[in-house]
Amino acid sequence: MKFVKPKDVENLLKNLEEDKGKKYFLAGGTDLNVQIKNGIIRDANIIYINHLTELSGISEENNIILIGATTSIMDILDSDLIKRHLPYFQRSLESFASPLLQNTATIGGNIANGSPTADVIPLLLVLNAKVELSSKSQCRLVYIKDFFTGYKQNVMKSNEIITHIIIDKNAEKDFLTFYEKVGSRRTLTISKVTLAGMKKVSGNRISQIRLAVGSLSEFPRRLFKVEDYITDKTLTEIDFSKVENLLGKEITPITDLRSDKEYRYHVCVNLIRTFLNQ
Amino acid sequence: MGMHLGFLFPSWGLGTRYRKSVVKEKKMKINFILNENEVSIDVDPMKRLLDILREDFGLTGTKEGCGEGECGACTILLDGKPVTSCILNAIHADGKEIYTVEGIAEKHIGKLLIDCFDETNAVQCGFCFPGFLVSSYYYLKTDGEKNLDKIKKALSGNICRCTGYQKIFESVMMACVRKS
Ligand SMILES: Cc1cc2nc3c(=O)[nH]c(=O)nc-3n(C[C@H](O)[C@H](O)[C@H](O)COP(=O)(O)OP(=O)(O)OC[C@H]3O[C@@H](n4cnc5c(N)ncnc54)[C@H](O)[C@@H]3O)c2cc1C
Ligand code: FES
Ligand code: FES
Repeated sequence: MKFVKPKDVENLLKNLEEDKGKKYFLAGGTDLNVQIKNGIIRDANIIYINHLTELSGISEENNIILIGATTSIMDILDSDLIKRHLPYFQRSLESFASPLLQNTATIGGNIANGSPTADVIPLLLVLNAKVELSSKSQCRLVYIKDFFTGYKQNVMKSNEIITHIIIDKNAEKDFLTFYEKVGSRRTLTISKVTLAGMKKVSGNRISQIRLAVGSLSEFPRRLFKVEDYITDKTLTEIDFSKVENLLGKEITPITDLRSDKEYRYHVCVNLIRTFLNQ
Repeated sequence: MGMHLGFLFPSWGLGTRYRKSVVKEKKMKINFILNENEVSIDVDPMKRLLDILREDFGLTGTKEGCGEGECGACTILLDGKPVTSCILNAIHADGKEIYTVEGIAEKHIGKLLIDCFDETNAVQCGFCFPGFLVSSYYYLKTDGEKNLDKIKKALSGNICRCTGYQKIFESVMMACVRKS
Protein backbone atom coordinates (compact mmCIF):
# COMPACT_ATOMS: atom_id res chain seq x y z
CA MET A 1 0.00 0.00 0.00
CA LYS A 2 1.91 2.89 -1.31
CA PHE A 3 1.42 6.18 -3.05
CA VAL A 4 4.25 7.57 -5.11
CA LYS A 5 4.58 10.87 -6.91
CA PRO A 6 7.80 10.56 -8.89
CA LYS A 7 9.64 13.77 -9.62
CA ASP A 8 10.28 12.93 -13.26
CA VAL A 9 10.05 10.08 -15.77
CA GLU A 10 13.59 8.92 -15.05
CA ASN A 11 12.67 8.53 -11.40
CA LEU A 12 9.44 6.81 -12.28
CA LEU A 13 11.22 4.22 -14.44
CA LYS A 14 13.77 3.62 -11.70
CA ASN A 15 10.93 3.09 -9.27
CA LEU A 16 9.28 0.55 -11.60
CA GLU A 17 12.52 -1.38 -11.76
CA GLU A 18 12.79 -1.61 -7.99
CA ASP A 19 9.19 -2.43 -7.25
CA LYS A 20 7.89 -5.16 -9.52
CA GLY A 21 4.62 -5.68 -7.67
CA LYS A 22 1.16 -4.89 -8.97
CA LYS A 23 0.58 -1.20 -9.26
CA TYR A 24 -1.69 1.29 -10.92
CA PHE A 25 -0.81 4.51 -12.61
CA LEU A 26 -3.02 7.42 -11.75
CA ALA A 27 -3.45 9.65 -14.80
CA GLY A 28 -6.86 11.31 -15.18
CA GLY A 29 -8.32 8.84 -12.69
CA THR A 30 -11.63 8.51 -14.54
CA ASP A 31 -11.38 4.74 -14.74
CA LEU A 32 -9.32 4.13 -11.63
CA ASN A 33 -11.57 6.09 -9.28
CA VAL A 34 -14.70 4.35 -10.49
CA GLN A 35 -12.98 1.01 -9.98
CA ILE A 36 -11.93 2.08 -6.48
CA LYS A 37 -15.46 3.20 -5.68
CA ASN A 38 -16.91 -0.09 -6.83
CA GLY A 39 -14.38 -2.10 -4.83
CA ILE A 40 -12.74 -3.60 -7.92
CA ILE A 41 -9.45 -2.13 -6.78
CA ARG A 42 -8.42 -2.43 -3.14
CA ASP A 43 -5.12 -2.01 -1.37
CA ALA A 44 -3.46 -0.74 -4.47
CA ASN A 45 -0.02 0.68 -5.00
CA ILE A 46 -0.50 3.86 -6.91
CA ILE A 47 1.93 5.91 -8.93
CA TYR A 48 0.75 9.36 -9.88
CA ILE A 49 1.80 10.37 -13.40
CA ASN A 50 -0.48 13.24 -14.41
CA HIS A 51 2.01 15.92 -13.37
CA LEU A 52 4.83 14.59 -15.54
CA THR A 53 5.10 17.17 -18.31
CA GLU A 54 7.35 14.87 -20.35
CA LEU A 55 4.40 12.54 -20.78
CA SER A 56 1.90 15.07 -21.98
CA GLY A 57 1.44 17.04 -25.16
CA ILE A 58 1.36 16.54 -28.91
CA SER A 59 4.36 17.02 -31.17
CA GLU A 60 5.65 16.13 -34.63
CA GLU A 61 8.89 14.52 -35.63
CA ASN A 62 9.68 14.00 -39.31
CA ASN A 63 6.71 12.02 -40.57
CA ILE A 64 5.10 11.03 -37.29
CA ILE A 65 2.81 12.55 -34.69
CA LEU A 66 3.72 11.83 -31.08
CA ILE A 67 0.99 11.99 -28.47
CA GLY A 68 2.11 11.86 -24.84
CA ALA A 69 0.36 9.22 -22.75
CA THR A 70 -1.19 11.69 -20.31
CA THR A 71 -2.51 13.98 -23.03
CA SER A 72 -6.19 14.54 -22.40
CA ILE A 73 -8.90 13.84 -24.95
CA MET A 74 -9.67 17.58 -24.91
CA ASP A 75 -6.06 18.42 -25.77
CA ILE A 76 -6.36 16.13 -28.80
CA LEU A 77 -9.63 17.81 -29.78
CA ASP A 78 -8.00 21.25 -29.44
CA SER A 79 -4.77 20.42 -31.24
CA ASP A 80 -3.98 22.20 -34.52
CA LEU A 81 -1.39 19.58 -35.35
CA ILE A 82 -3.96 16.80 -35.06
CA LYS A 83 -6.46 18.87 -37.01
CA ARG A 84 -4.00 19.29 -39.85
CA HIS A 85 -2.82 15.71 -40.13
CA LEU A 86 -5.40 13.50 -38.45
CA PRO A 87 -8.78 15.21 -38.83
CA TYR A 88 -10.70 11.93 -38.83
CA PHE A 89 -9.14 10.90 -35.54
CA GLN A 90 -9.94 14.29 -34.05
CA ARG A 91 -13.51 14.49 -35.32
CA SER A 92 -14.31 11.01 -34.09
CA LEU A 93 -13.23 11.78 -30.53
CA GLU A 94 -15.87 14.47 -30.24
CA SER A 95 -18.32 11.77 -29.26
CA PHE A 96 -16.16 10.78 -26.28
CA ALA A 97 -18.32 11.06 -23.12
CA SER A 98 -18.83 14.75 -22.29
CA PRO A 99 -16.57 17.81 -22.17
CA LEU A 100 -16.22 17.25 -18.42
CA LEU A 101 -14.75 13.81 -19.02
CA GLN A 102 -12.74 14.90 -22.05
CA ASN A 103 -10.92 17.40 -19.85
CA THR A 104 -9.59 14.67 -17.54
CA ALA A 105 -9.55 11.37 -19.44
CA THR A 106 -6.16 10.61 -20.99
CA ILE A 107 -5.30 8.66 -24.11
CA GLY A 108 -2.79 6.46 -22.27
CA GLY A 109 -5.39 5.62 -19.64
CA ASN A 110 -7.91 4.67 -22.30
CA ILE A 111 -5.46 2.24 -23.89
CA ALA A 112 -4.03 0.78 -20.68
CA ASN A 113 -7.40 0.32 -19.08
CA GLY A 114 -8.25 -1.59 -22.23
CA SER A 115 -11.99 -1.73 -21.84
CA PRO A 116 -13.82 -3.48 -24.70
CA THR A 117 -15.74 -0.20 -25.07
CA ALA A 118 -12.68 2.10 -25.09
CA ASP A 119 -13.33 4.62 -27.86
CA VAL A 120 -9.82 5.59 -28.75
CA ILE A 121 -8.64 2.07 -29.48
CA PRO A 122 -10.69 1.23 -32.63
CA LEU A 123 -9.48 4.52 -34.13
CA LEU A 124 -5.86 3.77 -33.32
CA LEU A 125 -6.33 0.30 -34.80
CA VAL A 126 -7.42 1.54 -38.22
CA LEU A 127 -4.73 4.22 -38.12
CA ASN A 128 -2.07 1.55 -37.51
CA ALA A 129 -0.84 3.42 -34.45
CA LYS A 130 2.02 2.28 -32.27
CA VAL A 131 2.32 2.37 -28.53
CA GLU A 132 5.68 3.35 -27.05
CA LEU A 133 6.47 1.34 -23.93
CA SER A 134 9.35 2.53 -21.81
CA SER A 135 11.34 0.93 -19.06
CA LYS A 136 14.58 2.04 -17.48
CA SER A 137 16.70 0.11 -19.93
CA GLN A 138 14.70 0.23 -23.12
CA CYS A 139 11.97 1.75 -25.13
CA ARG A 140 9.99 -0.44 -27.51
CA LEU A 141 7.24 0.16 -30.02
CA VAL A 142 4.26 -2.16 -30.23
CA TYR A 143 1.55 -1.90 -32.85
CA ILE A 144 -1.75 -1.33 -31.12
CA LYS A 145 -3.11 -4.42 -32.90
CA ASP A 146 -0.53 -6.50 -31.00
CA PHE A 147 -0.94 -4.72 -27.66
CA PHE A 148 -3.87 -6.65 -26.20
CA THR A 149 -3.74 -10.30 -25.28
CA GLY A 150 -7.09 -10.81 -23.54
CA TYR A 151 -9.79 -9.10 -21.55
CA LYS A 152 -7.95 -6.15 -19.95
CA GLN A 153 -4.69 -7.99 -20.60
CA ASN A 154 -1.81 -6.57 -22.55
CA VAL A 155 1.87 -7.02 -23.34
CA MET A 156 3.07 -4.36 -20.93
CA LYS A 157 5.65 -5.65 -18.45
CA SER A 158 5.70 -4.72 -14.79
CA ASN A 159 8.63 -2.37 -15.31
CA GLU A 160 7.04 -0.59 -18.26
CA ILE A 161 4.73 2.34 -18.79
CA ILE A 162 3.10 3.76 -21.89
CA THR A 163 4.99 6.94 -22.72
CA HIS A 164 3.69 7.90 -26.18
CA ILE A 165 1.28 6.98 -28.92
CA ILE A 166 2.73 7.28 -32.39
CA ILE A 167 0.74 7.82 -35.56
CA ASP A 168 2.02 8.39 -39.10
CA LYS A 169 1.35 11.90 -40.30
CA ASN A 170 -0.19 10.63 -43.49
CA ALA A 171 -2.05 7.72 -41.90
CA GLU A 172 -5.35 9.16 -43.10
CA LYS A 173 -4.15 10.40 -46.49
CA ASP A 174 -6.33 9.30 -49.43
CA PHE A 175 -8.59 7.20 -47.21
CA LEU A 176 -12.35 7.46 -46.90
CA THR A 177 -13.20 7.16 -43.23
CA PHE A 178 -16.00 6.04 -40.99
CA TYR A 179 -16.70 6.11 -37.27
CA GLU A 180 -19.96 5.24 -35.65
CA LYS A 181 -21.01 4.38 -32.12
CA VAL A 182 -24.36 2.72 -31.71
CA GLY A 183 -25.24 3.23 -28.08
CA SER A 184 -28.08 3.92 -25.76
CA ARG A 185 -27.46 7.47 -24.61
CA ARG A 186 -26.44 10.60 -26.37
CA THR A 187 -23.38 11.81 -24.59
CA LEU A 188 -22.19 9.33 -22.07
CA THR A 189 -22.40 6.44 -24.47
CA ILE A 190 -20.51 3.56 -23.11
CA SER A 191 -21.02 2.14 -26.53
CA LYS A 192 -22.73 -1.03 -27.50
CA VAL A 193 -21.04 -1.31 -30.86
CA THR A 194 -18.37 0.91 -32.32
CA LEU A 195 -17.03 0.61 -35.83
CA ALA A 196 -14.03 2.49 -37.14
CA GLY A 197 -13.23 2.12 -40.81
CA MET A 198 -10.87 3.39 -43.47
CA LYS A 199 -11.03 2.44 -47.14
CA LYS A 200 -9.62 3.21 -50.55
CA VAL A 201 -11.71 2.69 -53.61
CA SER A 202 -10.59 2.39 -57.20
CA GLY A 203 -13.44 2.39 -59.66
CA ASN A 204 -16.08 0.11 -58.19
CA ARG A 205 -13.62 -1.94 -56.30
CA ILE A 206 -12.61 -1.59 -52.68
CA SER A 207 -8.87 -1.70 -53.06
CA GLN A 208 -7.99 -1.39 -49.40
CA ILE A 209 -9.99 -1.58 -46.21
CA ARG A 210 -9.37 -1.50 -42.49
CA LEU A 211 -12.08 -2.17 -39.97
CA ALA A 212 -11.95 -2.19 -36.18
CA VAL A 213 -14.71 -2.84 -33.67
CA GLY A 214 -15.27 -1.94 -30.07
CA SER A 215 -17.66 -3.53 -27.57
CA LEU A 216 -17.93 -6.79 -29.49
CA SER A 217 -14.92 -8.67 -28.22
CA GLU A 218 -12.81 -8.85 -25.05
CA PHE A 219 -10.81 -5.95 -26.41
CA PRO A 220 -11.30 -3.73 -29.46
CA ARG A 221 -9.81 -5.38 -32.51
CA ARG A 222 -9.22 -5.29 -36.23
CA LEU A 223 -11.41 -7.50 -38.40
CA PHE A 224 -8.66 -8.94 -40.56
CA LYS A 225 -10.71 -11.83 -41.94
CA VAL A 226 -13.55 -9.53 -42.96
CA GLU A 227 -11.06 -7.10 -44.46
CA ASP A 228 -9.48 -9.88 -46.55
CA TYR A 229 -12.85 -11.00 -47.78
CA ILE A 230 -13.91 -7.50 -48.82
CA THR A 231 -10.64 -6.39 -50.40
CA ASP A 232 -10.75 -6.23 -54.21
CA LYS A 233 -14.48 -6.86 -54.35
CA THR A 234 -17.14 -4.57 -55.71
CA LEU A 235 -20.13 -3.86 -53.51
CA THR A 236 -22.37 -6.26 -55.42
CA GLU A 237 -19.87 -9.09 -55.00
CA ILE A 238 -20.03 -8.90 -51.21
CA ASP A 239 -22.28 -11.37 -49.43
CA PHE A 240 -23.12 -9.85 -46.05
CA SER A 241 -24.20 -13.11 -44.47
CA LYS A 242 -20.67 -14.27 -45.20
CA VAL A 243 -19.38 -11.12 -43.50
CA GLU A 244 -21.47 -11.92 -40.43
CA ASN A 245 -20.12 -15.42 -40.46
CA LEU A 246 -16.52 -14.25 -40.64
CA LEU A 247 -17.20 -11.83 -37.83
CA GLY A 248 -18.25 -14.73 -35.63
CA LYS A 249 -15.05 -16.58 -36.49
CA GLU A 250 -12.86 -13.58 -35.87
CA ILE A 251 -13.84 -12.46 -32.43
CA THR A 252 -14.47 -13.89 -29.02
CA PRO A 253 -17.65 -12.22 -27.89
CA ILE A 254 -18.06 -10.59 -24.53
CA THR A 255 -21.23 -11.20 -22.69
CA ASP A 256 -22.66 -8.51 -20.56
CA LEU A 257 -26.05 -7.10 -19.94
CA ARG A 258 -26.00 -4.34 -22.49
CA SER A 259 -27.29 -6.32 -25.39
CA ASP A 260 -26.97 -9.77 -26.77
CA LYS A 261 -24.34 -11.06 -29.07
CA GLU A 262 -26.41 -11.72 -32.21
CA TYR A 263 -27.90 -8.28 -32.03
CA ARG A 264 -24.48 -6.71 -31.80
CA TYR A 265 -23.11 -8.78 -34.69
CA HIS A 266 -26.04 -7.64 -36.71
CA VAL A 267 -25.51 -4.00 -35.84
CA CYS A 268 -21.86 -4.37 -36.70
CA VAL A 269 -22.57 -5.86 -40.12
CA ASN A 270 -25.05 -3.08 -40.81
CA LEU A 271 -22.42 -0.52 -39.89
CA ILE A 272 -19.97 -2.19 -42.28
CA ARG A 273 -22.61 -2.13 -45.00
CA THR A 274 -23.32 1.57 -44.37
CA PHE A 275 -19.63 2.33 -44.60
CA LEU A 276 -19.17 0.37 -47.84
CA ASN A 277 -22.17 2.10 -49.36
CA GLN A 278 -20.73 5.55 -48.71
CA MET B 1 -32.47 35.85 -6.79
CA GLY B 2 -32.57 35.32 -3.05
CA MET B 3 -33.52 31.67 -3.08
CA HIS B 4 -30.70 30.54 -5.26
CA LEU B 5 -27.74 31.22 -3.12
CA GLY B 6 -29.61 29.07 -0.67
CA PHE B 7 -29.17 26.21 -3.11
CA LEU B 8 -25.47 26.68 -3.19
CA PHE B 9 -24.46 26.67 0.40
CA PRO B 10 -26.44 24.38 2.68
CA SER B 11 -25.16 20.88 3.08
CA TRP B 12 -27.67 18.47 1.68
CA GLY B 13 -29.49 15.79 3.51
CA LEU B 14 -27.44 13.17 1.73
CA GLY B 15 -24.70 13.63 4.26
CA THR B 16 -21.21 12.76 3.32
CA ARG B 17 -20.78 9.19 2.46
CA TYR B 18 -17.77 7.95 4.30
CA ARG B 19 -15.40 6.34 1.94
CA LYS B 20 -12.37 4.40 2.96
CA SER B 21 -9.40 5.32 0.91
CA VAL B 22 -7.63 2.45 -0.82
CA VAL B 23 -4.32 3.88 0.12
CA LYS B 24 -3.53 3.99 3.79
CA GLU B 25 -0.58 6.13 3.10
CA LYS B 26 0.82 8.89 5.20
CA LYS B 27 -0.65 12.23 4.41
CA MET B 28 0.82 14.56 1.89
CA LYS B 29 0.93 18.30 1.70
CA ILE B 30 -1.22 19.54 -1.16
CA ASN B 31 -1.09 23.21 -2.13
CA PHE B 32 -3.53 24.85 -4.46
CA ILE B 33 -5.51 27.99 -5.11
CA LEU B 34 -9.10 27.68 -4.04
CA ASN B 35 -11.52 30.40 -5.12
CA GLU B 36 -8.60 32.81 -5.39
CA ASN B 37 -7.06 31.98 -2.00
CA GLU B 38 -3.86 30.03 -1.57
CA VAL B 39 -4.57 26.98 0.53
CA SER B 40 -2.54 24.09 1.84
CA ILE B 41 -3.74 20.87 3.36
CA ASP B 42 -2.24 17.71 4.83
CA VAL B 43 -4.28 14.92 3.40
CA ASP B 44 -4.40 11.41 1.96
CA PRO B 45 -3.43 12.12 -1.67
CA MET B 46 -6.09 9.69 -2.91
CA LYS B 47 -8.97 11.30 -1.04
CA ARG B 48 -11.62 12.37 -3.49
CA LEU B 49 -11.33 16.00 -4.48
CA LEU B 50 -15.08 16.33 -3.95
CA ASP B 51 -14.68 15.25 -0.32
CA ILE B 52 -11.78 17.62 0.24
CA LEU B 53 -13.89 20.53 -0.94
CA ARG B 54 -16.94 19.55 1.06
CA GLU B 55 -15.38 18.20 4.24
CA ASP B 56 -12.06 19.94 4.61
CA PHE B 57 -13.12 23.29 3.22
CA GLY B 58 -16.84 23.23 3.97
CA LEU B 59 -17.69 24.09 0.37
CA THR B 60 -20.91 22.13 0.19
CA GLY B 61 -22.16 23.86 -2.95
CA THR B 62 -20.41 21.12 -4.89
CA LYS B 63 -22.80 18.18 -4.81
CA GLU B 64 -22.44 14.45 -5.08
CA GLY B 65 -24.97 12.78 -7.34
CA CYS B 66 -23.75 9.62 -9.02
CA GLY B 67 -20.20 9.68 -7.68
CA GLU B 68 -19.04 8.17 -10.99
CA GLY B 69 -18.57 11.04 -13.40
CA GLU B 70 -21.93 10.71 -15.08
CA CYS B 71 -24.15 13.48 -13.70
CA GLY B 72 -22.00 16.59 -13.32
CA ALA B 73 -23.40 17.60 -9.91
CA CYS B 74 -19.81 17.80 -8.64
CA THR B 75 -18.47 20.00 -11.45
CA ILE B 76 -15.67 22.43 -10.57
CA LEU B 77 -13.13 24.39 -12.59
CA LEU B 78 -9.65 22.88 -12.43
CA ASP B 79 -7.07 25.13 -14.05
CA GLY B 80 -9.94 26.86 -15.77
CA LYS B 81 -11.63 23.77 -17.19
CA PRO B 82 -14.82 22.11 -15.97
CA VAL B 83 -14.26 18.63 -14.53
CA THR B 84 -16.10 16.19 -12.28
CA SER B 85 -14.52 16.32 -8.82
CA CYS B 86 -16.02 13.00 -7.68
CA ILE B 87 -13.57 11.04 -9.81
CA LEU B 88 -10.55 13.21 -9.13
CA ASN B 89 -8.20 12.90 -6.19
CA ALA B 90 -6.56 15.35 -3.83
CA ILE B 91 -3.30 14.96 -5.71
CA HIS B 92 -4.94 16.24 -8.90
CA ALA B 93 -5.36 19.61 -7.20
CA ASP B 94 -1.71 19.98 -6.26
CA GLY B 95 -0.30 23.20 -7.71
CA LYS B 96 -3.55 23.89 -9.53
CA GLU B 97 -6.18 26.58 -9.46
CA ILE B 98 -9.70 25.60 -8.46
CA TYR B 99 -13.00 27.41 -8.59
CA THR B 100 -16.02 25.89 -6.93
CA VAL B 101 -19.54 27.14 -7.45
CA GLU B 102 -19.11 29.39 -4.40
CA GLY B 103 -16.25 31.19 -6.11
CA ILE B 104 -18.12 31.42 -9.38
CA ALA B 105 -21.22 32.84 -7.68
CA GLU B 106 -19.06 35.83 -6.71
CA LYS B 107 -17.98 36.56 -10.25
CA HIS B 108 -19.79 38.99 -12.51
CA ILE B 109 -20.72 36.31 -15.05
CA GLY B 110 -21.68 33.94 -12.25
CA LYS B 111 -24.14 36.49 -10.87
CA LEU B 112 -25.48 37.17 -14.33
CA LEU B 113 -26.11 33.46 -14.82
CA ILE B 114 -27.81 33.06 -11.44
CA ASP B 115 -30.17 35.91 -12.35
CA CYS B 116 -30.98 34.35 -15.71
CA PHE B 117 -31.64 30.91 -14.16
CA ASP B 118 -33.84 32.63 -11.62
CA GLU B 119 -35.85 34.68 -14.10
CA THR B 120 -36.38 31.70 -16.37
CA ASN B 121 -37.42 29.49 -13.47
CA ALA B 122 -34.87 26.98 -14.65
CA VAL B 123 -34.27 25.54 -11.20
CA GLN B 124 -36.61 23.07 -9.55
CA CYS B 125 -35.08 20.89 -6.84
CA GLY B 126 -31.78 22.66 -7.44
CA PHE B 127 -29.49 19.71 -6.96
CA CYS B 128 -28.04 19.94 -10.44
CA PHE B 129 -27.82 23.73 -10.38
CA PRO B 130 -24.27 24.19 -9.01
CA GLY B 131 -22.92 21.89 -11.72
CA PHE B 132 -24.84 23.64 -14.46
CA LEU B 133 -23.66 26.98 -13.15
CA VAL B 134 -20.01 25.93 -13.41
CA SER B 135 -20.38 24.48 -16.91
CA SER B 136 -22.39 27.50 -18.10
CA TYR B 137 -19.85 29.86 -16.58
CA TYR B 138 -17.10 28.12 -18.52
CA TYR B 139 -19.14 28.41 -21.70
CA LEU B 140 -19.74 32.11 -21.22
CA LYS B 141 -16.08 32.77 -20.45
CA THR B 142 -14.67 30.80 -23.37
CA ASP B 143 -17.29 31.18 -26.08
CA GLY B 144 -20.53 32.85 -25.10
CA GLU B 145 -22.17 32.71 -28.51
CA LYS B 146 -25.96 32.46 -28.30
CA ASN B 147 -26.00 29.14 -30.08
CA LEU B 148 -28.23 26.35 -28.84
CA ASP B 149 -26.17 23.50 -30.28
CA LYS B 150 -22.99 24.80 -28.70
CA ILE B 151 -24.71 25.34 -25.37
CA LYS B 152 -26.19 21.84 -25.41
CA LYS B 153 -22.76 20.42 -26.07
CA ALA B 154 -21.15 22.51 -23.33
CA LEU B 155 -23.73 21.29 -20.81
CA SER B 156 -23.85 17.70 -22.03
CA GLY B 157 -22.00 16.37 -18.99
CA ASN B 158 -24.62 17.75 -16.60
CA ILE B 159 -27.81 15.89 -15.92
CA CYS B 160 -31.04 17.38 -14.59
CA ARG B 161 -33.78 15.03 -13.54
CA CYS B 162 -36.44 17.67 -12.97
CA THR B 163 -36.58 20.23 -15.72
CA GLY B 164 -36.22 18.70 -19.16
CA TYR B 165 -33.39 21.14 -19.91
CA GLN B 166 -35.26 23.64 -22.09
CA LYS B 167 -35.33 26.33 -19.43
CA ILE B 168 -31.73 25.72 -18.55
CA PHE B 169 -30.72 26.25 -22.17
CA GLU B 170 -32.92 29.34 -22.31
CA SER B 171 -31.22 30.76 -19.23
CA VAL B 172 -27.79 30.34 -20.73
CA MET B 173 -28.95 31.86 -24.03
CA MET B 174 -30.30 34.80 -22.07
CA ALA B 175 -26.99 35.20 -20.25
CA CYS B 176 -25.13 35.14 -23.59
CA VAL B 177 -27.22 38.04 -24.81
CA ARG B 178 -26.89 40.03 -21.61
CA LYS B 179 -23.19 39.53 -21.38
CA SER B 180 -22.51 41.06 -24.77
C1 LIG C 1 -18.80 8.89 -16.81
C2 LIG C 1 -17.76 8.25 -17.65
C3 LIG C 1 -17.92 8.24 -19.03
C4 LIG C 1 -16.95 7.66 -19.84
N1 LIG C 1 -17.13 7.69 -21.18
C5 LIG C 1 -16.21 7.12 -21.99
C6 LIG C 1 -16.37 7.14 -23.41
O1 LIG C 1 -17.32 7.72 -23.96
N2 LIG C 1 -15.44 6.51 -24.16
C7 LIG C 1 -14.38 5.89 -23.61
O2 LIG C 1 -13.56 5.34 -24.33
N3 LIG C 1 -14.18 5.86 -22.27
C8 LIG C 1 -15.07 6.46 -21.45
N4 LIG C 1 -14.88 6.43 -20.09
C9 LIG C 1 -13.71 5.71 -19.52
C10 LIG C 1 -12.47 6.58 -19.21
O3 LIG C 1 -12.81 7.94 -19.07
C11 LIG C 1 -11.39 6.45 -20.28
O4 LIG C 1 -11.02 5.11 -20.42
C12 LIG C 1 -10.15 7.31 -19.99
O5 LIG C 1 -9.47 7.54 -21.20
C13 LIG C 1 -9.20 6.73 -18.98
O6 LIG C 1 -8.10 7.62 -18.80
P1 LIG C 1 -7.63 8.12 -17.36
O7 LIG C 1 -6.46 9.00 -17.57
O8 LIG C 1 -8.75 8.69 -16.63
O9 LIG C 1 -7.18 6.74 -16.72
P2 LIG C 1 -6.89 6.37 -15.19
O10 LIG C 1 -8.16 6.12 -14.51
O11 LIG C 1 -5.94 7.35 -14.59
O12 LIG C 1 -6.12 4.99 -15.42
C14 LIG C 1 -6.80 3.91 -15.98
C15 LIG C 1 -5.87 2.69 -16.08
O13 LIG C 1 -4.84 2.91 -17.01
C16 LIG C 1 -3.56 2.72 -16.43
N5 LIG C 1 -2.71 3.76 -16.99
C17 LIG C 1 -3.01 5.09 -17.06
N6 LIG C 1 -2.02 5.73 -17.71
C18 LIG C 1 -1.10 4.81 -18.06
C19 LIG C 1 0.15 4.86 -18.76
N7 LIG C 1 0.67 6.00 -19.23
N8 LIG C 1 0.84 3.70 -18.95
C20 LIG C 1 0.34 2.55 -18.49
N9 LIG C 1 -0.82 2.43 -17.82
C21 LIG C 1 -1.54 3.55 -17.61
C22 LIG C 1 -3.77 2.80 -14.94
O14 LIG C 1 -2.86 1.95 -14.27
C23 LIG C 1 -5.20 2.32 -14.78
O15 LIG C 1 -5.25 0.93 -14.66
C24 LIG C 1 -15.82 7.03 -19.26
C25 LIG C 1 -15.65 7.05 -17.87
C26 LIG C 1 -16.60 7.66 -17.07
C27 LIG C 1 -16.40 7.67 -15.60
S1 FES D 1 -21.33 13.17 -8.66
FE1 FES D 1 -19.67 13.58 -9.89
S2 FES D 1 -20.50 13.35 -11.84
FE2 FES D 1 -22.10 12.67 -10.60
S1 FES E 1 -33.59 20.87 -10.86
FE1 FES E 1 -33.70 18.95 -9.93
S2 FES E 1 -32.10 17.86 -10.90
FE2 FES E 1 -32.15 19.71 -11.97
